[in-house]
Amino acid sequence: MAGQLINDFKNGLWQENPIFRLVIGMCPTLAVTNTTENGLAMGIATLFVLLSSEIVISTIKKLIPSNVRIPSYILIIATFVTFVDYFLKAFFPSIAASLSLFVPLIVVNCLILGRQEAFASKNPVHRSIADALGMGLGFTWALTLLGAIREFLGMGSIFGLQILGAWYKPMIIMVLPAGAFISLGILVGIMNIISREG
Amino acid sequence: MNNKTSGLIITLTVIGIVSAILLAFVYQWTTPYIEKHQAKAQEAAVFTVLPEAERYQEVTKDGMTFFEGYDSANSRVGVAMVVTGGGFQGNIELMVGVDLSKQQINTISILNHQETPGLGARITEKAYRNNFANKPFGEYQVVKREPTDPMQVEAISGATISSEKVTIIVENAIQKIQQAYGGGA
Repeated sequence: MAGQLINDFKNGLWQENPIFRLVIGMCPTLAVTNTTENGLAMGIATLFVLLSSEIVISTIKKLIPSNVRIPSYILIIATFVTFVDYFLKAFFPSIAASLSLFVPLIVVNCLILGRQEAFASKNPVHRSIADALGMGLGFTWALTLLGAIREFLGMGSIFGLQILGAWYKPMIIMVLPAGAFISLGILVGIMNIISREG
Repeated sequence: MNNKTSGLIITLTVIGIVSAILLAFVYQWTTPYIEKHQAKAQEAAVFTVLPEAERYQEVTKDGMTFFEGYDSANSRVGVAMVVTGGGFQGNIELMVGVDLSKQQINTISILNHQETPGLGARITEKAYRNNFANKPFGEYQVVKREPTDPMQVEAISGATISSEKVTIIVENAIQKIQQAYGGGA
């Protein structure tokens, strides 16, 4: 039983990593990973929404008629997303300003709806929590890594700390959407090589 | 069929009501903090663009709101106003502070924007904002190299449009201030 929970948790971290393996939730992945901080903040916000909505949905799954399950899930997800939006604006105004409209867009992140449909609606609460934590952390580390690479190459800094000196001419393309596609593609390739050898 | 349909309606209605109630509480809880941040940001911006001011007061003229800054001797050192205009993506909201007696800009402060992070978003950085420091009133020209003329504004590399939009918004603000204050001190 404990082993199953650990497997549910580890699943999202690597084997079925939402970004590198399932390739879902691409909208925030490509849009907000231009800095490390933005990637991390978006990851944590998504983790929170994923965890809370998986808990609620796996708890009340039997009460929701299957015909309206998708609108019900979206309503529940939207409630938590709005909560995160207000919360960030109230307590982390600088992060809220840099993520701006991508916070409300977590509602339509297909990672969240996908996990409700694929996991929370079929499994008990404790397994859903393990799944949400694994998927959420898997999403978070992937976004943070992507953000770090793009910020490093595009601005010469990581977490806003200037690492490369003035001699470094920033690759502006890396902070633009095209840079997200390029770094994501290369990272997915590297992950494939690692898993094949492992 | 009838039973089933009503079941669907009831489910969605209940979920909708519950989430609306929860969000009403969240809204009540967070709104004072959000307003405090906004007020603080605005206050900080006024003192940034009117560095000589000790205190300021809001004045409404011609239906527009201005912030008049006063020094310790109670004489008016400058006027600031918030203006909004289109940027490269979305609107840019910024505050311009001017010295009416010298007919020049003190400096500007960006309050809100949706420009591209790492490019257009650099309009918030000092290096770009300093373009407007102590600039005489008038029309500005955006250039892509080191400015040679006081009326020139150096564009951020890779974000010429954002740089130009900010310049237009600033020009617009100066016009409004000059209109309201008759161009003179």
